[in-house]
Amino acid sequence: MVGLPYDCLANPLGAVRSTFDKAIASGADPASFSGADWGALDVFRHFLSDQNGLSQVPILDHKSIRWIQPNTLVRFRGMIQDMLGNEFYVGAHKDGSVWRTNKFTDVSQFPMGSSPDMRIWERRLLYCVPVPGQNSWSVSSSDEMKYRSMDWASPQREKRRRSDDEAVDNMDTLVSSDGIEGPPGTKKMREDGHPYQATQSQDSISEATCSSSGALPDIDQDSLPCLVKIYDTPETDLKLNEVFEFIGVLTSDLDYQVDTGEYNEFENGFKEDDTLAHLPRSKVPYLHCFIHRKLAVHDFLQSSPMIEPQPHVVKEIREALLRHLTDVLGNDGLAAHFILLHLLSKVHSRVDTVAVGKLSLNLTGFSEESVSVFCSQLDLAIKNLLPFTHYVPLTVGYLNTASLAPKKDYETNRLITGGLQLAEGTHLTIDETQLEAGTLNSVGVDNARMLKTLMESQKVEYDFKYYKMDMAADIQLLIFSQGKSNICPADLVLPFQPSSVGSSQVSAEALEAWRWYLATLRTLPHSIEPEMQTVIENDLVEARKADRSLGSQDFSRLLTMGRLMSMSYGETTLSLEHWQMVKELERLRRERLK
Amino acid sequence: MKDLDLDADKALAKEFLSNFADANGNDKYMNILQEVANRKIRAVEIDLEDLFNYKDLDEEFLRRVTENTRRYIGVFADAIDELMPAPTEAFPDDDHDILMTQRSDDGPENMDGSDPHQKMPPEIKRYFEVYIRAASKGRPFTIREVKASYIGQLVKISGIVTRCSDVKPLMQVAVYTCEECGFEIYQEVTARIFMPLFQCPSKRCDINRTKGNLILQLRASKFLKFQEAKIQELAEHVPKGHIPRTMTVHFRGELTRKVAPGDVVELSGIFLPIPYTGFRAMRAGLVADTYLEAMSVTHFKKKYEEYELREDEEEQIARLAEDGDIYNKLARSLAPEIFGHEDIKKALLLLLVGAPHRKLKDGMKIRGDLHICLMGDPGVAKSQLLKHIINVAPRGVYTTGKGSSGVGLTAAVQKDPVTNEMVLEGGALVLADMGICAIDEFDKMDESDRTAIHEVMEQQTVSIAKAGITTSLNARTAVLAAANPAWGRYDMRRTPAENINLPPALLSRFDLLWLILDRADMDSDLEMARHVVYVHQNKESPSLGFTPLDPSVLRAYISAARRLSPSVPRELEEYIASAYSSIRQEEAKSDTPHSYTTVRTLLSILRISAALARLRFSETVAQSDVDEALRLMQMSKFSLYSDDRQKSGLDAISDIYSILRDEAARSHKMDVSYAHALNWISRKGYSEAQLKECLEEYAALNVWQIHPHTFDIRFIDA
Repeated sequence: MVGLPYDCLANPLGAVRSTFDKAIASGADPASFSGADWGALDVFRHFLSDQNGLSQVPILDHKSIRWIQPNTLVRFRGMIQDMLGNEFYVGAHKDGSVWRTNKFTDVSQFPMGSSPDMRIWERRLLYCVPVPGQNSWSVSSSDEMKYRSMDWASPQREKRRRSDDEAVDNMDTLVSSDGIEGPPGTKKMREDGHPYQATQSQDSISEATCSSSGALPDIDQDSLPCLVKIYDTPETDLKLNEVFEFIGVLTSDLDYQVDTGEYNEFENGFKEDDTLAHLPRSKVPYLHCFIHRKLAVHDFLQSSPMIEPQPHVVKEIREALLRHLTDVLGNDGLAAHFILLHLLSKVHSRVDTVAVGKLSLNLTGFSEESVSVFCSQLDLAIKNLLPFTHYVPLTVGYLNTASLAPKKDYETNRLITGGLQLAEGTHLTIDETQLEAGTLNSVGVDNARMLKTLMESQKVEYDFKYYKMDMAADIQLLIFSQGKSNICPADLVLPFQPSSVGSSQVSAEALEAWRWYLATLRTLPHSIEPEMQTVIENDLVEARKADRSLGSQDFSRLLTMGRLMSMSYGETTLSLEHWQMVKELERLRRERLK
Repeated sequence: MKDLDLDADKALAKEFLSNFADANGNDKYMNILQEVANRKIRAVEIDLEDLFNYKDLDEEFLRRVTENTRRYIGVFADAIDELMPAPTEAFPDDDHDILMTQRSDDGPENMDGSDPHQKMPPEIKRYFEVYIRAASKGRPFTIREVKASYIGQLVKISGIVTRCSDVKPLMQVAVYTCEECGFEIYQEVTARIFMPLFQCPSKRCDINRTKGNLILQLRASKFLKFQEAKIQELAEHVPKGHIPRTMTVHFRGELTRKVAPGDVVELSGIFLPIPYTGFRAMRAGLVADTYLEAMSVTHFKKKYEEYELREDEEEQIARLAEDGDIYNKLARSLAPEIFGHEDIKKALLLLLVGAPHRKLKDGMKIRGDLHICLMGDPGVAKSQLLKHIINVAPRGVYTTGKGSSGVGLTAAVQKDPVTNEMVLEGGALVLADMGICAIDEFDKMDESDRTAIHEVMEQQTVSIAKAGITTSLNARTAVLAAANPAWGRYDMRRTPAENINLPPALLSRFDLLWLILDRADMDSDLEMARHVVYVHQNKESPSLGFTPLDPSVLRAYISAARRLSPSVPRELEEYIASAYSSIRQEEAKSDTPHSYTTVRTLLSILRISAALARLRFSETVAQSDVDEALRLMQMSKFSLYSDDRQKSGLDAISDIYSILRDEAARSHKMDVSYAHALNWISRKGYSEAQLKECLEEYAALNVWQIHPHTFDIRFIDA
């Protein structure tokens, strides 16, 4: 397709319109386009994949929002935090005798009379936030220099840029004209190239009104939420807490200033009726999504070494990583082994009420000295290895005040996020060493219960006031405590026995390799051969004979360990050797427990 | 395209209203209209089902009504205007009537021309409100399923009410008077917002060029009650990994004040867009908000007694009832993912079914609800069983003994934060009235809280005397309790009584008490290991070997069974009495009485038998029911005391032999029929296989002869 009359990057809506016109011209009935595509998406797919356009599409974040033009193609990576239901819009209408479409826009490009020839279509609204706990190394951002020289930067844009720069300079003289490392305070000036320059006073007013409404607890200066409008996608494709990359149009916002103040007079029912009123666009950009793609952990690696998981390579990486973990853990090799298995764990299926594949780990025996040394060291090491991590120091005060469970707020019709609303594959470290004796109030009891259910069944209860809903989670849980933790009963309890304080220097390449290792091996398939099954069954029965207290959970845990062990070698079937290793690990662990 | 012949449709509507006869041959709608004319009721509810059943049904007309409901409400209202009969009863005139008489008196002179604003709109004269109600058959939509294509149509949805606004007046017809010409000017209001008229549009003012000032007459205008509510999808309708959707609902007129937050409702209504106005229209651009104009409200019934069966369900139940094995099948379908425990599941099934309540002539009530206590080692899926039962029961409350204080279980007196009045709030047991209350961690409850349960379990009421409120609340609930043994795990070295750690007064109130122990057993260990390996290998549960019935089918079957109240025939009375006395005797004989067989036990037998009869859809209790009841009671005891039996040195085979010999000796007969033998031993908790084994073994010893075909037993030497 040479010589398109539009530019996918700079004028994606033009592409939408031209394909629409083409489809109409070929005799299609606009009524049939409801919930269907007329070929517009193919153009973008073609552009992104065949012309290698993906890398040219700027990533929307709190920095780039200041210079990205509205009505251009952008991509946004984030977690679906809330679903705001669907929205009905005039999808196509007749302007005189010509059909026009309004798909992928908020405002009509053409005057719209009240003609009877209107087609109402629907789209879904998703409120997305940057993945909670995302570590800085996994954030890919677009810096402006790269895009500035792009051909789509029209002269007109340059002009706007200048005027905007002036405005920015007025605001904050620290901002250099290319604004890469601008301080977060300048975020509100992101209306770069706004069709008509929003005056600062209006801007700050609308900002003031929304901050007073307090409905947006999760917006801080460094993260940018985004309202994504999804078209024609089956509902099952997009689920809460999943991480996606959305590619679509960032829409211009002509009249966002006209907000809360005005319409309250009319509304005598619920004045918060309009959920969107709480999401003024000065705070939350709107993205009309063309294409979305689910992201897995390895999509967040900066450079993925495209090597096949060769056995010897994998083994080398494994050894190196194990050495590193052993160093970090003060020469406790057993703990390093368990941490490695733990870092590889992932809920891969749910059978009845059991989440198969989880492996939470409780390191006990931290004394006051070892806490200060090892906790932070291990936390740092994990932060460097996994893209999403969270660290929660558990105290009575925290339990009593924190809101762990997401809660529906019917006043604003929003889901207020909680500490446990985390993306799939997030690593959560709970530090119980700072917990002291104290009284829990009802919130504290609820929170403790919430943690317990998360540990036991990998589920978080979302509070919808009139009923609770269990949402499946997939979170790796690591607990530090002095004795065995009862608030968070982990699958594995291991007394931690460091013998030396060491720190290891890590090269960047090694880190890259380890990240790749952890991200890739996690998704390997796994199976157990029939002969091996018999061996395992007999071993388990023997074990239970020796110790009556073993239950099905312990069996399940041993099998999970077996899976992870063979996985850590990059293998897909469980071998006897690895099973023996698991049994040996378990034996050593039990010895320590005595 | 818009070739709606509304006049023709009005004629159709008229014909339908005047000619429709319901199942009893009554003129349903004309009767309603007469009531309306007599000012008895306001709402004229047109049931689409009636329209559907109407003998001269015009399919096209029906379709038009469903797809353009709002317009057809007007059509029906016009038709009703024309059909309205004269009132047959006198009623006092109110202000409105006086106003109307005045208007009609000076109507003719004032009417000059066809000015629409001056013609009295029919709405202002109407005393009635028309609602078109969706057919009650068929599944309601979930909020998620209502798509853009349903705009303007009549839809039926179910959901939970989350918010309600106050009821406010909504102007329907605004009436103005002109300062100059004195005419009344009418303005119909169809939206929530209207632009008032300021200039008199009447001809006289127009000719005189006076630009008469209009004054809004609130007293003469017509207002409607108006309420706005939000409904949200029910938890079970939300697909996995999604957030429940919400929808705005407008209630008008008679439908206001029908719902409160927290109600689960089924609504039929018209799905309509709200045009944005003012600045919002500019801002929102192309987007339209939508709402549901409510037409009817039905609250969800959650009691068995009011459970309405759908047609296909009735068929299915009839098919199941014919199947002989229904008792086992139903029991197995309870918590199918939990392996084994067949007798416990049977007991739980009977708990769901229950026996009829009896009220004696002197006012004494005998409860019909069965109480069951599950006691057992940690990790034997007690809690899962409890939760599953709650899910199957139409009304069930799950609570834990630890988490709920006596107040949380029974009732609490609380101060209303707004009015400062004392209000009574029911606890879990009161909320589970006519349902099931599952109490987990029963043993961990405080002693003081446990006493509150005593009353509930036998009298089935909760009495409260606090803060000047003395009252008694109904708590007709079946209690399903789960408890751990006294020392966390069952301690074999101690007596059952020590292990159970619940006062006898409370224990005797339970009809059945099961002990679920985690015993060392090679087979079950291997079974467990296999299961776990299978799960890890195949990422699913191993197949059950049968297809469990759907919880909804179970619920339907149980509700159908609960409608019966079986009675005990006279000839069985003797049988039950002798069975009871033999249990008492046995207990007296043993030196360490384990159980407390009291009159309550006799009532329990009757209750369980009645529940079994209900399951067979029988109006009378049969002997087999009583036998099964006795067997279950025996089994529940055996789960407690089987160790003793082993200690006494008797294995199952010799025990069966001694049972048979004793029974034969008692009746002084040499022959024992197989059926009788099976009956006796199953009452003691043995299986048929064990009986057969015993028969063979002792036949080889020449103790008795076995009939080769009927397996009847003949003792060789007494």
